[in-house]
Amino acid sequence: MPLILPKCDVPIPERRKHILIKSSQENIIPACNIQTVPGDMTERGCAFAGCRGVVGGPIKDAIQLVHGPIGCAYYTWGTRRNLSDMALHRKYCFSTDLTEDNVVFGGADKLYKSIIESYQLFPKAKAVLVYATCVVGLIGDDLEAICKKAEKEIGIQVIPFSCEGFRGVSQSLGHHIANKTLFDKVVGTREPEVTTPYDMNIIGEYNIDGDAWAIKPLFDAMGIRVLTIFTGNASFDDLPVMHAAKLNIVQCQRSSTYIAQMIQDKYGTPFINVTLFGMEETSKALRDVGKFFGLEDKAQEVIGQETAKIKPQIEEYRSRLSGKRVMVFQGAPRAWHWIRLFEELGMEVVVAATTFGHKEDYTKIIERVKDGTLIVDNPNAPELVEILEDYQPDLFVSGLKEKYLSYKMGIPFVNGHSYEEGPYAGYLGFVNFARDMDIAINHPVWKMIRQASGSGL
Amino acid sequence: MSEKRCVTINPPKMCQPMGAIYAYLGVHACVPLVHGSQGCATYPRYNLCRHFREPAELATSSLTEDAAVYGGRKNLIEAIRNVHARMHPELIGVLTTCLSETIGDDVKSIIRECEEELDGIPVITASTPSYVGTHLTGYDNALKSMLETLAAKGNPNGKINIVTGMINPGDINEIKHILQVMGVSGIFLTDVSQTMNSPIKFPKPHYPEGGTTLAEIGDAVNSLSTITLSAACGTASAKLLERKFNVPAALGAMPIGVKNADAFIQNIARFTGKPIPAELERERGLLLDALVDTHHYLYGKKAAIFGDPDMVAAIVRFCAEAGMKPSAACTATPHPNFAPQIKAVADEYNCKIEILEGSDLFALQEVMKKEPVHVLLGNSKGKDLANDENVPIVRVGFPVYDRVGAFRYPIIGYNGSIYLLDQIVNAILEHKYDQQKLHQ
Repeated sequence: MPLILPKCDVPIPERRKHILIKSSQENIIPACNIQTVPGDMTERGCAFAGCRGVVGGPIKDAIQLVHGPIGCAYYTWGTRRNLSDMALHRKYCFSTDLTEDNVVFGGADKLYKSIIESYQLFPKAKAVLVYATCVVGLIGDDLEAICKKAEKEIGIQVIPFSCEGFRGVSQSLGHHIANKTLFDKVVGTREPEVTTPYDMNIIGEYNIDGDAWAIKPLFDAMGIRVLTIFTGNASFDDLPVMHAAKLNIVQCQRSSTYIAQMIQDKYGTPFINVTLFGMEETSKALRDVGKFFGLEDKAQEVIGQETAKIKPQIEEYRSRLSGKRVMVFQGAPRAWHWIRLFEELGMEVVVAATTFGHKEDYTKIIERVKDGTLIVDNPNAPELVEILEDYQPDLFVSGLKEKYLSYKMGIPFVNGHSYEEGPYAGYLGFVNFARDMDIAINHPVWKMIRQASGSGL
Repeated sequence: MSEKRCVTINPPKMCQPMGAIYAYLGVHACVPLVHGSQGCATYPRYNLCRHFREPAELATSSLTEDAAVYGGRKNLIEAIRNVHARMHPELIGVLTTCLSETIGDDVKSIIRECEEELDGIPVITASTPSYVGTHLTGYDNALKSMLETLAAKGNPNGKINIVTGMINPGDINEIKHILQVMGVSGIFLTDVSQTMNSPIKFPKPHYPEGGTTLAEIGDAVNSLSTITLSAACGTASAKLLERKFNVPAALGAMPIGVKNADAFIQNIARFTGKPIPAELERERGLLLDALVDTHHYLYGKKAAIFGDPDMVAAIVRFCAEAGMKPSAACTATPHPNFAPQIKAVADEYNCKIEILEGSDLFALQEVMKKEPVHVLLGNSKGKDLANDENVPIVRVGFPVYDRVGAFRYPIIGYNGSIYLLDQIVNAILEHKYDQQKLHQ
């Protein structure tokens, strides 16, 4: 039986079903997308984080108004590195700052006034996105009605998201709430001024540290018109026309396949899943898109040019990274997106884990990793410590919350959530990613640390 | 928009859970347990990691829809059991959130249900919904709960309690230094100086070394006195010790600058009967020397300061001592001591200081546009404001994540004040100063 229970989990045997060693003899995937064991020191967040932080947050010219007490607004203020070419969305934190009175008597008035005032202060904003927090769901403010009333007053869309933190078991439900809300209220509300046969949306690309800026030029060069990026560096005005694209490509297949599916169901627009990381998979994505649009030659031309540019550097990094063992722990898709990328550098994934992956994510991981790879759903802090100790990977790729734990254990680390110095997507990003892994693994500090682990001075 | 704005824009304040977690993390082998949605643990944790560049391990009861309807009892009991069984902590620090407070969980009685299974490991409860107070209130609430629960009345210990509040390891180390040269023993309530600034060491300790021990917290009721460094972040705890255990309290001001550091040291001398040693006289002299060395650079320079009320008030005074004109003082945490402290400086130094209390950085920016300043002091959340107004920012307070090392250095005491002074002067010199004049 490939399911295993780490030593630290003896008191919580229910963790056994989440952890397994891949074996091609047995076709099982770990239990996932279910309630966290309370008190297990999970790394998960909440629905609000998925909605406000991940999907809604990158929309650059909307007022991102958090309806709730101050904490939730504060912690999402400029936190995720979803860059854009304007300041509004990361620079300003709007909150209704609910206090005890509001919890008792309701926060409706405060919300209405806050929407109006925000718009008066930022009249160039294209929309107001209103996010509900836990307490709002409990006190029962009628967000729909308040937002509708405010919308009439200010003349731009005011969109409520019912993304109270207690909904669902992780960030994941928040992604869905954001997709569904934006699809229902925004997509298809306007036709583009012109259309071309080469209109395409890039879905599930949040421009983390400039990823979208590394990806979009590739499609531009193929002669494709990228209509909307959902939602990296997106203007709110890009969203209503999404239905007019001829094709959707989906990068983050956890947080936004939903909207691609909804667009397909309602408008018949097909979508294809892509991995725009690493040389091989990025090239495959370009070829797939080229094939769809009958632009195979253009795709091949771009692939030829771009791979020629980076190959020498990648070869150099490969010589420095080859044989290194990686533990990767991401939200979900990047845990499988990157497996081939690591292999291109001669590296091997020995542990793959996700925070909020669903069945599809684990299927994709299992397809890609070798037998013997440890696969963990929703790992918690004691498990991470035990696995890092047991596996002693040469590199741990995860997020900021795990970064300093890894350092304390003497294990090189790259921030795969927000990146060290991205972008990491596309061809250019692959070089950056390889460089950052090289820095992490081959930095001289680790030699001193390993010496210190022996006799000390 | 001159009348009172309703929407809050760019608030330099966090919620109670952040402060409660901070207080718990200063206790040795304590696991904070956030009774609420998972985000209420993950977000504060993220903030801690990026300020300290350290791991910050905490647990959550992972409440979901079920709990919102039926209550969080089951999750909390399970969470306490799991934290105890897997982490083997010496203390479990439960803190509530908007969710668990609003659904009305009776946390204390829930804890009583499972207390017996915990081999005597105490469980603390702090009531810390985000809709009441700020991070500072949360700190005070968690500390007060710890004192109430752990109090162990015994013989007088001759020690001084220091309610640290949300200050940095560098600051705590400076206070330890002051106490040490005075020959005074202190109990730090609490002490993140090692727990959130730990060395690489193998094997990695299960819990970081340091932190206040449970025995020390219990013994705090036997101390000579309590000194808080921040009235907004320690008054409830200090008053508890005073009223219930007859430990006299001295509240604030934060010992930044000459006068405030003097007062802090005099308080220690007064409570302990110890003389002020020559070493501290020497350090004070070094601060005065630094002020003299730099007074031509700073005289008349305007400063805006934002952050927690006691830190802001203390820096306002220090800027005035340095010959500057503090022109705006902004805090998001209202406190009755704030405006009087600022007004006292304005009167004493004959300067006009705009007081923004319960306010935000958007309001501060409006003030700075009307009354431009030479330097801004505050945490990393002020960087856009500084860029917009084209002024240098000196990063102080919490969180500082866009520069390294802020947690390492003190801004408290004479030594800390010297460091802060140097930073202010250098920021001004680097930003806008005729480089020709810098050759002396």
